[in-house]
Amino acid sequence: MPTHDHYVIIGNGPAGNAAAFTLRENDPDAAITIISHENICFYAKPKLVKYLAGKVDEDALAVKTMDEYRRRHIRLRLGQTVAHIDPDSRSLHLAHMETVHYTDLIIASGAKARLLPSMKPYADCLTFVTEFNDTTGLRKKIADSSRFFIFGGDLVGFKFLKMLTDMGKQVTLLLYPRAFWPHRLTKEMQDAIVKNLAPTNADVLADDDLDTIVPEDRGGYWVTTKQGVRTQADLVFSFNGLIPDVDFARGCGLDIDHGILVDETMRTSLDRIFACGSCAQIYNPDINTYTTSIGWPNAQVQGKVAGLNLLGEHHKVRPAGRKYFDLEGVKIKTAWWEDLEKDEDA
Amino acid sequence: MKTSDKDINIVIEICGSAGEGTISAGEILSRFMSAQGFEIMSFDAYPAEIRGFGKCVAHTRVSANPIYSPGKLADVLIALNDNHAISQLSALKKGGILIYDSQPPKPHEEDESVVAQADAETISYGVPLTMLAQKAAGNARGRNMVALGALTALFHLDRDAFTNSIKDRYGKKKQIVIDSNVNSFLEGFDWTKENIDKADAISFQGVTPPQTKAEQTEEKLIINGNQLVAKAALDADLKFYAGYPITPATKIMEILSKELPKHGGTLLQTEDEISAIGAVIGAGYGGIRAMTGTSGPGFALMTEFTGLSVMAEVPAVIIDSQRGGPSTGIPTKTEQSDFNAAVFGGTGDCPRVVLAPTDTTSCYDATVLALYLAEKYQTLVVILLDFFLSNSIRNIDVPQKPAPEMLNANIAPDAADLAGYQRYKITDSGISPRTIPGTPGGMFFATGLEHDAYGRPNYTDKGHLAMTAKRFRKHANVLNEAPAPVISGSQKTVDIGVISWGSSAGAAHEAVMTAAEKGISGAGFSSMMLSPFPEKQVKAFAGRCKKILIPELNYRGQFADFVTRIINRPVERLNFITGRPMASEDIVEKMKEM
Amino acid sequence: MDMNPSDMAADTARSLYLDEKLAQVREKDFLKYRSPDLPTWCPGCGYFGIMDAFYKACRELDLAHENICAVSGIGCSGRTPVFINSYGFHTLHGRSIPVATGLKLAREDLTVFAMAGDGDALGIGGGHLPHVARKNIDITFILFDNAIYGLTKGQSSSTTPFETKTNSHPVGNPDTPLNPIRLALAYGSSFVARGYAGDPEGMKEIIKAGILHKGFSFIQILTPCVTFDKANRTWKALKENVCSLNLHLPAPDNMESAMRAAENEPYGVGIFFQDKERPSYQDILRQMQRAK
Repeated sequence: MPTHDHYVIIGNGPAGNAAAFTLRENDPDAAITIISHENICFYAKPKLVKYLAGKVDEDALAVKTMDEYRRRHIRLRLGQTVAHIDPDSRSLHLAHMETVHYTDLIIASGAKARLLPSMKPYADCLTFVTEFNDTTGLRKKIADSSRFFIFGGDLVGFKFLKMLTDMGKQVTLLLYPRAFWPHRLTKEMQDAIVKNLAPTNADVLADDDLDTIVPEDRGGYWVTTKQGVRTQADLVFSFNGLIPDVDFARGCGLDIDHGILVDETMRTSLDRIFACGSCAQIYNPDINTYTTSIGWPNAQVQGKVAGLNLLGEHHKVRPAGRKYFDLEGVKIKTAWWEDLEKDEDA
Repeated sequence: MKTSDKDINIVIEICGSAGEGTISAGEILSRFMSAQGFEIMSFDAYPAEIRGFGKCVAHTRVSANPIYSPGKLADVLIALNDNHAISQLSALKKGGILIYDSQPPKPHEEDESVVAQADAETISYGVPLTMLAQKAAGNARGRNMVALGALTALFHLDRDAFTNSIKDRYGKKKQIVIDSNVNSFLEGFDWTKENIDKADAISFQGVTPPQTKAEQTEEKLIINGNQLVAKAALDADLKFYAGYPITPATKIMEILSKELPKHGGTLLQTEDEISAIGAVIGAGYGGIRAMTGTSGPGFALMTEFTGLSVMAEVPAVIIDSQRGGPSTGIPTKTEQSDFNAAVFGGTGDCPRVVLAPTDTTSCYDATVLALYLAEKYQTLVVILLDFFLSNSIRNIDVPQKPAPEMLNANIAPDAADLAGYQRYKITDSGISPRTIPGTPGGMFFATGLEHDAYGRPNYTDKGHLAMTAKRFRKHANVLNEAPAPVISGSQKTVDIGVISWGSSAGAAHEAVMTAAEKGISGAGFSSMMLSPFPEKQVKAFAGRCKKILIPELNYRGQFADFVTRIINRPVERLNFITGRPMASEDIVEKMKEM
Repeated sequence: MDMNPSDMAADTARSLYLDEKLAQVREKDFLKYRSPDLPTWCPGCGYFGIMDAFYKACRELDLAHENICAVSGIGCSGRTPVFINSYGFHTLHGRSIPVATGLKLAREDLTVFAMAGDGDALGIGGGHLPHVARKNIDITFILFDNAIYGLTKGQSSSTTPFETKTNSHPVGNPDTPLNPIRLALAYGSSFVARGYAGDPEGMKEIIKAGILHKGFSFIQILTPCVTFDKANRTWKALKENVCSLNLHLPAPDNMESAMRAAENEPYGVGIFFQDKERPSYQDILRQMQRAK
């Protein structure tokens, strides 16, 4: 029986794709659309660093082919940005001024690089690596550059640092205790990390903060810390964690804190709108608060749950208990649902 | 990232409404690329489908290597108008680049934006064209320039050189016009540089164009077929042009109306095409070089006069720029369906010369040759252009001016001939010495009736036979002065021989080369001279080809029928009438199937 | 007289006797403009008179033979250039005007005539007349108006009177005839005149004036078709009706009175209208080019 349902998913990452494919498996007739502002098919974000280092090429990033979408009649709207949501008319307004109507909406817009408020004046001098769009042109720049400055230090940041030092690049790291947001690294943790990074030959600065970044006329930057360390760098990277990418959803009536607030069934505060993956802030009954999640497996599970619940089922994401994981030899407590270790080689 | 010049071979299409500056943007892009030292081939299309009413497309192929065909699909589509661009998406390559207005003047309903309709593989860049144009110049007119600015930023083109190309284009306009165009361009450039994350691989950074600028600005002509025909005609001492407006030949008349008087010639706009060819024949009878240009419907009207030119042996040159047919057909689409009309059209045994230029450059050669042959052989010469050749723009080397002997070809009678002057004297060559009015003692009567050697009506069987034979003899001798057929690819026995004509020939030769890279052994044959046709050469060529393919832009293969009769064996055909020019990709595909 | 047109079109018969005779007539000065070829028209045809007037006009203006070019269409009038000792071009049915236009624009030094019958110039070729007139191409156009298609044996033409019985309209012509003089005036001809085939002197004067006129000269000649029109435009009828325009039209420089005369005097001969000031097409082109 034909149906006029149109399920729209904002986001083309693991959560969004899990939702879309789950929906299609369980509803062969509905129209399904994935909207993503990125111009690339579903790809493996964790591999971006390898891609930047020139270790893998673009094809190796691909998770799914266009054909898999065609076969399943899942429509991809790539390179299109959602400007805002109008839940009353159940429509989305895209940045290019097109309106898309939905019957049900799943927001899986993921996360974006966190720009520290103190860094706002230097935003133009900083390079972020969170999505494929950021990497165009960067690969060649990295290959051509020799001196790097990394500010912060999150999971990806350390991975990137090792990649650069492996390439024989000169790297200075300014360890920022709040980089692993929302956690704060203690003095002991920082010392342990500095010790553990020693074999990389990177200059690691701790107990310090960024003061100024001054671009040079002929390219490159002078970076000065509060303690007065001056370093020259061709590129300055910021790795200070991710924040949910939900600006487009603000002001439409959805309850939003850092991320879009959802219950364990991935339902938002508004009817027929779900959120999942790293854009969502999920209620955790164990600690009686809303927490965000990162990582591929979490996103996949949440996407699947959102998809099934949209179709009327009632699944919950189950916390897998409190977990610890390893940040350069430092154990950090987390409240996430899945084991992040799986993610490492994804 | 593309870093070697060999890699630059892209097709850019700009699509918009008439009046949105689509065509001028394409023109500036072409001129810029040419000034950068690249080969260009560009054309403007005005598709006639109802949905695309008012739609126009500026198509430009840019390459570091010689270009033989326009390229089938676009690498880049710049959408100035979403509505029109949607119907142009089918001409965009899979994985191609779409640049569109991200803040159009009016919001789109669902699925009515071009980006919504684009394939998922498409790399799309939204640029607020209208908004930036408004910002730069206070109105939306400069959207085309904003788009060019975006293109320049995206592909790492030379911003300052591009700015100069824009200034050149609007050089004669008021300063405010120049400024608003340049400002719009820069606005688009800056915005894109700032806001667009490049996700495609096209880049002109570090590309060394094949020619240095100094070399080519002096010597290259950026010109289309119609312009080149007009230029050639002036260089070949044309003194009279009569015409009636008809797409796609009108431009020739418009150019000549400006230029002919400067060269001591006369342009006559007539009441119809009958009158145009009539006047040309009158002028030709008067002893000056005369020409007319038209398209299918006008050529049909001229048919009776074409017979008179042949019968009365009066020089006349007709340019038929083919468009979709029959009847009024599709005036703005290219086709090669007037082959039969040009080579065989009309009544009676009527041998006429037919030349079909194969590319822009050969439009010049064909025109010079046509005026020469018409004068020397006292006959009708038809030049078969088509919409694509007429309008596609190339950057070419400045053609060599015709040699003096090409400009004065009439064989006049000597004193002995004038004694008892026989205007239609039976000769071995078939050419009878011709007087022009004003020559004492050379008076004669020209007629469309069959006649004797003096020109007096004569209906005897012997007379008719002798005169017909003379006209055919004359026609056959034209072959001695025909340019040699172009033969490409392997010189040995090959699997596939591609025999082509007119504007499809470039694509055919290119296809032979491309197919060779893919392991298909092939050779190409084309002849500018269609009538008389180099039959010996085509037979020899066919003799070393296991299979023959004849690609052409008509429904069933008019030229294929013609060649089949000569080589006496069946041929494979590739025909389409979609209105777009033949692309080498089409032919390679067909060769693979064979 | 019942003559087969295909006989008329047969190879020109020539004999020593005729050559001798012709040589004699040619000595009579104006006849040097006549070619050695014998006209193929029916005996008694008005065209003989027209040609005599033509030869005389050429003689009186002392035109060089090689600088005369007569361009004709198809029909009995189409053969005219064969019988002129000059350059001549027998073109297509209805198309003498375009060819003559091209020739004149190519060769301003020539005296170019266009000659056509009523079927040729007003029927099949009727579309060219307005344009040669409004352009004011400097040619002399002579309309051999016998109000019938003669060469194809008697069908109605554009000037055949209403209800006249012809071979194509055996119970009477249902079409209203055109008035060539009014048309020529309406089209903006700068010289409009009418002659009568039975009045060689009058015709000669008109043709001379037409040749001398710088611009398009439209000359209608009323002439009978003695073979296919035995009732309407006969010698007898013409002789009885033709009158001189001079009696009614003091000076041919007024378009309104010319129009009135064209309407009221179907048999009035003379010059209806002439604008001597108006530049010819080529003069206009030159003026514009200079002004640019």
